[in-house]
Amino acid sequence: MLSALDRRHTVAPPGYSRWLIPPAALAIHLCIGQVYATSVYKNSLIAHFDTGQTAIGVIFSIAIVMLGLSAAVAGTWVEANGPRKAMFVSACFWAAGFLVGSLGIATKQLWLLYLGYGLLGGIGLGIGYISPVSTLIKWFPDRPGLATGLAIMGFGGGAMVASPLSRQLLSFFDSGYDPSNAGSTASGSALVWLFVTLGLGYFVIMMFGVANVRVPAEGWRPAGFDPASVAAKPLVTTANVSAANAVKTRSFWLLWVVLFCNVTAGIGILEQASPMIQDFFRDNGSSAVTVAAAGGFVGLLSLFNMAGRFVWSSTSDVIGRKPIYLVYLGVGMVLYALLAVVGQTATALFVLLACVILSFYGGGFATVPAYLRDLFGTFQVGAIHGRLLTAWSAAGIAGPLIVNGFLDAQGKPGTLTAAAYRPALFTMVGVLAVGFVANLLVRPVPQRYHEPSAEQDLDEETTAQRSATR
Amino acid sequence: MNDDSRSGQRARLVVSWLVVAVLLGYGVVQTVITAAKLFTH
Repeated sequence: MLSALDRRHTVAPPGYSRWLIPPAALAIHLCIGQVYATSVYKNSLIAHFDTGQTAIGVIFSIAIVMLGLSAAVAGTWVEANGPRKAMFVSACFWAAGFLVGSLGIATKQLWLLYLGYGLLGGIGLGIGYISPVSTLIKWFPDRPGLATGLAIMGFGGGAMVASPLSRQLLSFFDSGYDPSNAGSTASGSALVWLFVTLGLGYFVIMMFGVANVRVPAEGWRPAGFDPASVAAKPLVTTANVSAANAVKTRSFWLLWVVLFCNVTAGIGILEQASPMIQDFFRDNGSSAVTVAAAGGFVGLLSLFNMAGRFVWSSTSDVIGRKPIYLVYLGVGMVLYALLAVVGQTATALFVLLACVILSFYGGGFATVPAYLRDLFGTFQVGAIHGRLLTAWSAAGIAGPLIVNGFLDAQGKPGTLTAAAYRPALFTMVGVLAVGFVANLLVRPVPQRYHEPSAEQDLDEETTAQRSATR
Repeated sequence: MNDDSRSGQRARLVVSWLVVAVLLGYGVVQTVITAAKLFTH
């Protein structure tokens, strides 16, 4: 039965609609995007395990580190075995993560939560994140930015679905839980049922993706598409580079720095969003922005983070990958500097600047697979993408460290003002400047790293045959 | 591709995009309700 998951059984028959592939990819990304909604039940877990913020925060950190590691390690396996098997394995790990986690909650064994949601769930995250990328690029050679933007938009949307859904489920399983009160904590049994429900529900939705995903037949191209029109653009190659060779190129590591810088800067704001807006408008100890309004600000940032993934990535199909990253990083520098200097003058201005910055953060994630396709071809783009995602793991550590490090030196939480954020924000301008320069230095991959083309293979074969007959 | 498989594919397209639209729509509406608090509080 499992052979149905093999790549050879997933080749699309003639006439198969390529528009079935984006919802298949979205079915995966909408589910694994839940990882950014863990804060919803963080307080409940702290109360249930009677432990501190750090012990519970570690669960999320393990999951994100495992995302980067599993994407890097399993990338080549995903390419070799095809998207259907990868999506199935991802669904199994993701659902198992929830179920093992629920066992940990039920038995009050925190290590089981680390093992389940952190380790197993993290592996599901990494494999699931990269599983549809190269397939989408192959189905949409004319609009790779739009296709990958759609899928990776789902990752941002996943948190938007999971946050309210988790609150409503917790209040369903525990009548004493108030979903509108951020300080309310749910009982252990409600958490167990939440994890079981999410695990099973996500598994079913991910199976939609498994059932619908197909790889295009060899040589397939969309009607009216001329590959020469794509290859005519700067930095776009028709050659192919293997994942093993890609990591030997300068362009890969420059792109790693670009992604690292863009994510580090964005996470700095995202992680601190709620207290940040309150601190920026604090006067004589009290903030003009209420806790509820700050929660609204976080929601607005989620919307822009998600929309940026689709809008900016699609725009990159028109203006090119390198120019769009110059916008993310260059305009991002200006916006960060404005936020530091004039952000405290009006709430509307602060919100506008932060929202555009977060849209660039999302755009950076969504555009990178298409950038990799341009530089390295479609051969092992998923595996190369997996290796590049280690930049995300590193930025996930660096971004909060930079911001929290500066803020800790400025004073205690609840007493900070806009001035306390300036050193951190100007540091982010510097981080973006490094990314900007790295992007400028990206060049086409030298020919020595290219895979031998089919024509070359044929030539070599013919030469060998001639030698043999002599 | 014959008529049967063509109509089957159309149904599959509708159901797939509907699942995505319901999930994303739920998330967006709930987030907009939360985001509105920024302007009402």
